[in-house]
Amino acid sequence: MNRDQATHVNQTKNSSNTGILSFGAYIPRLRMSRRAIADAVSWAVPGIKGLAKGERALGNWDEDVITMAAEAARDCIKDLSLDIVGVQLASTTLPFLDRSNSGVVADALQSGKAVHTEDLSGSRRAATSALARLSKTLCDDGPTLLVASECRDTRPGSTQEMLYGHAAAAVLVGEGDVIARFKGVASIHEDLVDQYRSTDAEYDYALEERWVREEGYFKIVPAAIEEALAQAGTSIGEVHRIVLPASSNVARGLAKRLGTDAELFADPLSANCGDCGAAQPLLMLAAALESAVPGEQILVLGFGQGADAIVLETTPKLADLQGSRGPSRYLAEKRVVDNYTFFLSIRNQLSMDFGIRAERDNRTALSALYRKRGDISAMMGGRCTQCNTLQFPHAPMCVKCGAHDTQTPESLSGLTGTVKSFTEDWMAYTRSPPYIYGNVEFEDGANIMLEFTDFEPGQVEVGSSVRMVFRVKDFDKKRNFHRYFWKPAPVMASVQDEETVNG
Amino acid sequence: MANGIRDKVAIIGMGCSRFGERWDCGPEELMVESYQEAIADAGIEQEDIEMAWLGLFFQEQSAGKSALPLSLTLRLPNIPVTRVENMCATGTEALRGAVYAVAAGACDVAMAIGVEKLKDTGYGGLPERSKGTFDDLWLPSSTAPGNFAQLASAYAAKHKRPMEDLKRAMAHVSVKSHANGKLNPKAHLRREITEEQALNAPMIAYPLGLFDCCGVSDGSACAIVTSVEKAKAMGIKDMVTVKAIQLAPSNGLEMSNTAWDGSYLLTTRIASERAYAEAGIENPRKEVDMMEVHDCFSVTELVVMEDLGIAPEGKAIEDVLDGVFDRDGEVPCQLDGGLKCFGHPIGASGLRMAYEMYLQLLGRAGDRQIDSPSIGLTHNLGGAPNRNVASVSILGLHSA
Repeated sequence: MNRDQATHVNQTKNSSNTGILSFGAYIPRLRMSRRAIADAVSWAVPGIKGLAKGERALGNWDEDVITMAAEAARDCIKDLSLDIVGVQLASTTLPFLDRSNSGVVADALQSGKAVHTEDLSGSRRAATSALARLSKTLCDDGPTLLVASECRDTRPGSTQEMLYGHAAAAVLVGEGDVIARFKGVASIHEDLVDQYRSTDAEYDYALEERWVREEGYFKIVPAAIEEALAQAGTSIGEVHRIVLPASSNVARGLAKRLGTDAELFADPLSANCGDCGAAQPLLMLAAALESAVPGEQILVLGFGQGADAIVLETTPKLADLQGSRGPSRYLAEKRVVDNYTFFLSIRNQLSMDFGIRAERDNRTALSALYRKRGDISAMMGGRCTQCNTLQFPHAPMCVKCGAHDTQTPESLSGLTGTVKSFTEDWMAYTRSPPYIYGNVEFEDGANIMLEFTDFEPGQVEVGSSVRMVFRVKDFDKKRNFHRYFWKPAPVMASVQDEETVNG
Repeated sequence: MANGIRDKVAIIGMGCSRFGERWDCGPEELMVESYQEAIADAGIEQEDIEMAWLGLFFQEQSAGKSALPLSLTLRLPNIPVTRVENMCATGTEALRGAVYAVAAGACDVAMAIGVEKLKDTGYGGLPERSKGTFDDLWLPSSTAPGNFAQLASAYAAKHKRPMEDLKRAMAHVSVKSHANGKLNPKAHLRREITEEQALNAPMIAYPLGLFDCCGVSDGSACAIVTSVEKAKAMGIKDMVTVKAIQLAPSNGLEMSNTAWDGSYLLTTRIASERAYAEAGIENPRKEVDMMEVHDCFSVTELVVMEDLGIAPEGKAIEDVLDGVFDRDGEVPCQLDGGLKCFGHPIGASGLRMAYEMYLQLLGRAGDRQIDSPSIGLTHNLGGAPNRNVASVSILGLHSA
C-alpha cells in the first residue's frame, strides 16, 4: 500500500483555544508483585524471571473498565463545574457488548440525559483516534470527556501477565481555558497485526516483538509524526515530550531514527503500573501533564494497526490544575499483592470454592434498577428542605422530621464519610475475604450501611475516613449481568495531606 | 386510654420440641412434637382451640407460606389460622396474636405455635435471602454475625473500652449459657466451654468468634392461652399470665441518620419501656427475676442488658463479669441455655423463651429450676442493629 494514500492529513479546528481543558487518571490500589508471578509460573516459563521487577496495576475483583473510567473521569472533572456535552469511553475490554458502557459512566458522573455517550473500541488506538477526531469535530456547545480504560486479563505464564496493567485516564476536550491546545494531528491506518483478540478469545495473541518494532514502530509511527508535525508547523527538534505507548527499548530505537533525545520520551510507567492498552497514551499524557511547564510541545502517539500522532502545546493554565490530579497520586498509594492464587481468583481466572453461600442468586430486577437509577448510579440521596437532613436512600418521608415529599435530590458520592461501626466477615461470600462492611456517617445526619472495598483486614477502624468509589456490587453469573454501586474505600493519603494544608 | 393486656390472658399449656440438628424431622414433625406437649399440658381437646397463629420465618426453606403448614399438619377443623413473620421476633409475634385475640374477646382459647427447619440448607449459618429488589442493589450482602459484630466495634469505641475487655465479657456470656445449656435436656448444645475456648475460637465476623454465635437449630414451640376468667373456671390455681407484650420496629432512624451511634439497640429500649409500663414495673433490675433475651450473639446479650435497663449504661461489661446474669446471679439470664445453646429455630424462639419462663414460674424447670421466681422477661430482636424489630414480653404469676 502506498502510505501517502493511506495517510489522512487533516486540519485541526482552526481555533487557538481548542484543546484539553483538564486531565485525570486512575490506577487501582492493588499492585501485583511481578516477583510473585515469576515465582509461581517460572517452573514452566523460566525466561519470565527476567521481567520479575516491580509491580503491575491490578484491578480489584469489583473493578472493570467502567468503574476505572468513572474514577479517572472524576479525577479529571472533580472541581470543575462544566456542562459536559459528551462522554466517550475508549477500551478494548468494555464489559458490555450491547449496553452503553459510556452511559453507565455518564450516569455515575451525573452528566444528565442530554449528554452524547459513545463507546470506542476495536483498537488500542481507540482513545488517540478519538482525540484526533475531537480536535477536528468539537462542537461549540461544551466540552467532551474522553476516557480511556483498560482491564485486560492475561494467560498465566505469558509475558503479558507480567507487562500489562489495569488503569484508566481521561481528558476533557473543548474550547476556552485550555491547558494544552491542539496544534496538529495525523492518523495512519495500516493493518499490521502485531497482536489481536477475537471476540470469542479470552486473551491477546501477540507476535514477535522484533517484527513489530522494526516494521511497526520504526516505520508507521515516524510517518504519522511527520504529518502531524508538518500540520502543527513545527519540527521534532521543537518537541519537548513524546508520549509513546511502548517499552523504553522501543522508545530508544525510535529516538535514534527520529534523531532526537531518548530522554524526551515519557515514562511508560512500566515499573509500577504496566501497559494499559487503549488507556496507555492518555495515562502517559496525564503523567506528562503533571510535570509539564507552559509552552511545551507534547507529541502524543497511539499505536496498533496504524498510528495516531497529536501535537499539543501547553498553556499557562496548566499550572492551575497541577498537583490536584493525575496518576502520580494513585501510584503513591498501593496494596502490594504477592499471592498468585489471589491474583488469579480476583480476576476470575481461578475457580475457588467459596462454598454454597456463593450460589446466591444475584438477579437484578432491571425495572427496579431503572426506577432507582439515580440512587444506584449516582448515589443520589435526598435533603429534606424542612430540617436539612441528608439521607440515603431518599424517601417519600424524611427520616428525621417525618415531613412528606420535602426531599431534593443530592448525591453523596463526592462526600467523605466516617466509619461508625464495621466488621470483617469471614462467613459472608466475597471474592476477596473478609467481606468488610459497616455503618458510615456523612455530613448533615446521613448514615448508610455500606460494603467496603480495597481495605485490608485490620485496616478499618471506628472513626476511619472513607471516600466513595464506583464499583461492581454483584455479579449475576446465571445471566451474565453485573450491577454497580458506590463503596467506601480508603481516603488517599495525598488528598488527606492536601485537606490538612487547605484546612 | 387503653390499659393494655396485663393479667387478662393466661398461658394454660406449653410445649417445646427438642432443638438441634433434627435430621429426622421436617417442620411438620417438629410442630406435632411441641403441639402434643402443649395440648396435654393444657388438658384440653383440639376442638377447644378456636384460633391459631403460626410463626415461621424462612418459609422458602421449609414449610411454605400461609396458614396451611399448620392447618394441614394438625388437621385443624378449619379454624382461622394466621401465619406471621417478623424476623427473629416471629415466635413472640405469634404469641401476641393469640393473646390479643383472647384479650379482645374474639375467642376463649387460642394457640400460638412457632417452627423453623433451618438444617435443610446444606450449610452452616442462616440461609441467604433477598432483602428486596431495591435494597439488594445497594445494601451489603451481610450475614447475621457481621451485622451484630458492628455493635461490638461501636460499643467499644463509644465507651472507650479496649476490644480485649469486651471480648472477655462476651466470652463470659457464652460460658454462662453453655453451663446452663448443659442442664437442659432439650437444648441443642449441651457441652460446657471455657473462657479460653471462647476467646481462641475461629473468627466468624470480627470481633465475633465461633462461640460468640448462637446455634442454628431446628425446632418448634407452642403456647395455648385463654382468658384469666376461663382459666379460673378450669380450676387452674398456679396461673401464669401475660403482663405485657410490646413490639418496636425501626423506622429508619438507625440506618439512615447519625442520631444513632451504633452502640445500642434503640428499638429494644423503646419496647422495654413500653413493656415495663404495661406490666407496671418501675425498677426492672429489682422486679424482674429472670430473663430470656435475644442472645443471637454474645455481644447482643451484653448490650441488651443496658437497653433493657437492667445494667447501667456503659457498665454491662462489669455486670457480666461480676456474674449478675449467671444462674446464681442477681438477674439470671438464659437459664435454658438461650439462643446460644438451646438453639435458635427462628420462628419458635420467642415461644421457646416463654416456655422457659412458664416452666420456671410454675417450678417445673427440673435441674435448672431457680428459687421461686414470679416475674420473667423475654426479648427478641429480629434483623440487624441498624434496622430491626424488637419485642419484649413480661410473663408472671397471676398473683405477682
